[in-house]
Amino acid sequence: MEDLINKIKGSIILSSKAEEYVVSIATEKSVSKGDVLIRQGQAVKNTYFVQDGCLRAYCIDKNGKEHTLQFAIKNWWISDFMAIYNKERSTLTIECLTDSNVIEFNTEKLDGIYSIFPEFEAFQRKNLERHVVSLHKRILNQLQLTAPERYDFFLKQYPDIEQYTPNYHIASYLGITQQSLSRIRVENARK
Amino acid sequence: MQALQIIKYGEIKDSLAFSEISPPSVQANDVLIEVKAAAINPIDKSIILGNLQGMLPIPLPSTSAYDVSGTVIDKGIDVSNFEIGDLVYSRVPQEQMGTLAELVAVTSHAVSKKPGNISFEEAAGLPLVGLTALQSLEYAGIKENDKVLIHAGSGGVGSFAIQYAKAKGAYVYTTTSTSNVEWVKELGADRVIDYKTEDYKAIVKDADIVFDTLGKNHTTEAFTVVKKGGIVVSVVGPLDDESAKMFGIADYKLPTELSKLVREKEAAYKFIFMHPNGSHLGEIKALVEDDKIRPIIDKVYPFSESTEAFNHLASGRAKGKIVVKIS
Repeated sequence: MEDLINKIKGSIILSSKAEEYVVSIATEKSVSKGDVLIRQGQAVKNTYFVQDGCLRAYCIDKNGKEHTLQFAIKNWWISDFMAIYNKERSTLTIECLTDSNVIEFNTEKLDGIYSIFPEFEAFQRKNLERHVVSLHKRILNQLQLTAPERYDFFLKQYPDIEQYTPNYHIASYLGITQQSLSRIRVENARK
Repeated sequence: MQALQIIKYGEIKDSLAFSEISPPSVQANDVLIEVKAAAINPIDKSIILGNLQGMLPIPLPSTSAYDVSGTVIDKGIDVSNFEIGDLVYSRVPQEQMGTLAELVAVTSHAVSKKPGNISFEEAAGLPLVGLTALQSLEYAGIKENDKVLIHAGSGGVGSFAIQYAKAKGAYVYTTTSTSNVEWVKELGADRVIDYKTEDYKAIVKDADIVFDTLGKNHTTEAFTVVKKGGIVVSVVGPLDDESAKMFGIADYKLPTELSKLVREKEAAYKFIFMHPNGSHLGEIKALVEDDKIRPIIDKVYPFSESTEAFNHLASGRAKGKIVVKIS
């Protein structure tokens, strides 16, 4: 919880009352590798802050293949924000790639915090800005960069992730085949 | 629900018909799968022709096929390892045969989540051939650097077995015909033997394991290439004593010639009867996701053309699996 509180304090001045409220609506959870926190096609009730571990958000296309949208590591937020915003069922499945510790927030309670403590609007705005920038960058990378360049960027963004992520997750995140990923790794090893 | 049923034994064109039947009931240990794809195998054809009436009696009419992939839409009260919405694949047990249908109920022990990096059609083609190859080579105790001969490398079981054996670090010999040599090499086999121009018995020496997928003379010949103390596993040869007991055949004796060869080579002979197993499918899932094994599809047919799929199977010309897309 301390990491999250520090993160909030890095963005806004947090009164002790507001801190107490955040703690009161937060649920710390230990989750296991393979656990599914949000399932595609179901209602989205929660948003998660990752204290440690790694989670993955992916969608399943009509042929049954997975496409990875995002990995979330320490100090990242993860949920299906599109479903929350549009009040729709989830388009994503969010699963734990490792045993992880997360802080779970009920989205309705999280929404309620703005009316009681308006200073959280600024915190949330900054989070959303970061989220938009991250997605913007991801789209531009897909459009502009070569596959080896995207892989380099990925490794900088998610250091150490290869230790606990199957190759097909990384390949699907980068939008390339597993064979292409293997070729890129061989090329990198020769450099 | 719609199902393709075997209405009588005989020729494919006379024996199969689409029927509207009741959805299956879901027992305490079952998951109900909305079928996305089903794959057909030689055993399905043999059942239709009536060749297996003695060994695998089925009531008529019965829905055809065993291999399936799809989505879990309901589950029995004792099922804790699957959730509604899970994407799964299975080789269903004999008593739950009938995957060429919109829905199939399957005991959860025979089910695994499907590999996430392949389609429903690709996943449906894996269970029967994958379980057959895995259980045969696992029984044989396959390990790194073993020399393994796999017959019929271009067949469904053979093509999976080559990839599985390579994933285990073995050195793989395989036999195939001239036209299949190149693509069988691509599966990773170390030495592809074109049986039309080469004699495998002159090439393979002291194999640790022979995986016999052809039967007849290949079962006995296996003992000329297997090493002293090696093992021959077969999915088509004669039953061994233990398997015969399992099938309830009293006083069974291994054929004399085979028994003599086993003794002379101090080798083991084992007939493998594939059994449905969700944990084994979980192992296959991991190998597929790790790109160690790739599904090989010959053709995907729409549900309405299932009979054509069986005709294609009967032609014996498929290179890879024949799959039927259900929904």
